Amino acid sequence: MDNIYSKLRLLAKSVKAQNLFVSAKELQGIRLFRNVVDFSKLQELYLSYLYMYDSINRDIIIDKISNKIYESDIYEDAYLLFKKGNKKDEKKDNKNSEIHLIMGNKINFPKSEVK
Amino acid sequence: MEDRKAQAEKIVSDMEKENVLSKVEELIKNNKVSFEHDNKKYQVRLLNLSEKEELDMLRRKKFGQLIQDKDILLEKDLIIQYKSRGIDINEIDDQIKKLVAEDVDLQMQLGEAISKNETESILKGYKDQIINLRVQQQILNTQKTLLLEFSLENQLLNHVAQIITYLSLDILEGDTWQRMFSSLEEFQKYKDENLINKAASYSMALQYI
Repeated sequence: MDNIYSKLRLLAKSVKAQNLFVSAKELQGIRLFRNVVDFSKLQELYLSYLYMYDSINRDIIIDKISNKIYESDIYEDAYLLFKKGNKKDEKKDNKNSEIHLIMGNKINFPKSEVK
Repeated sequence: MEDRKAQAEKIVSDMEKENVLSKVEELIKNNKVSFEHDNKKYQVRLLNLSEKEELDMLRRKKFGQLIQDKDILLEKDLIIQYKSRGIDINEIDDQIKKLVAEDVDLQMQLGEAISKNETESILKGYKDQIINLRVQQQILNTQKTLLLEFSLENQLLNHVAQIITYLSLDILEGDTWQRMFSSLEEFQKYKDENLINKAASYSMALQYI
């Protein structure tokens, strides 16, 4: 049972597992595990891999990336890390722009608009 | 002839992979896995509440024994001892942190290259650099693990791994599953190392990652 992580990834990325995962998200009757509570660490890890490959599959479907990402675990991890970093930056930018909309003493409205 | 041999080897290798994968699948779906050893059936399963309490009790008992033993040092004390002999574990940690930061930085660049659909040679360039950094990290991590092998914390972890295997291994008797061992002493004296190793690898995968 050496390198359980790579086996879990391999399983989560399979077409069968991904189809089951998508169906389980949409249909209540389909379950991934026999237990519904008290998930083991292994199950939690497997779920996170299922979400990870679901996210990659979606980006491949909309042609955001090509499926050569599947050639290496390193490509998959790097892409998701970059995507996560980008999302954080987007949130930060949104937050900054929101601050400018709040009325307060420190906001200087452009002089040209003041009549 | 060679082709057929290679094909046969591939089929056997695929079957082995398939078998390992189906065992992992069984572990995930059921939180238990069954296997055969010397014509007997065994299973390893997730611990129930009372077994978790037993694990906790045995862990505390072992900790009590270890902390009283003056020959066994806590990790922090072992680090001080090593430093007095010219081996700086904190420096190893710093080197690991630096490598991890470089690794993350390269991953971000690789991720951006993937999102821009860059050529295979560019992606491979980043990948090779990342692999190189990970080999260096692995060497340092192994070095650190070996140095701290005899710390109290590590001895306790090894003991916990033994207890989990002892508690989670069942044998099929008739058509009911029974606990394989009735005491930790019985488990520790058991001669068949192959069975114990097999059970340990499953129980660690199930409850210890």
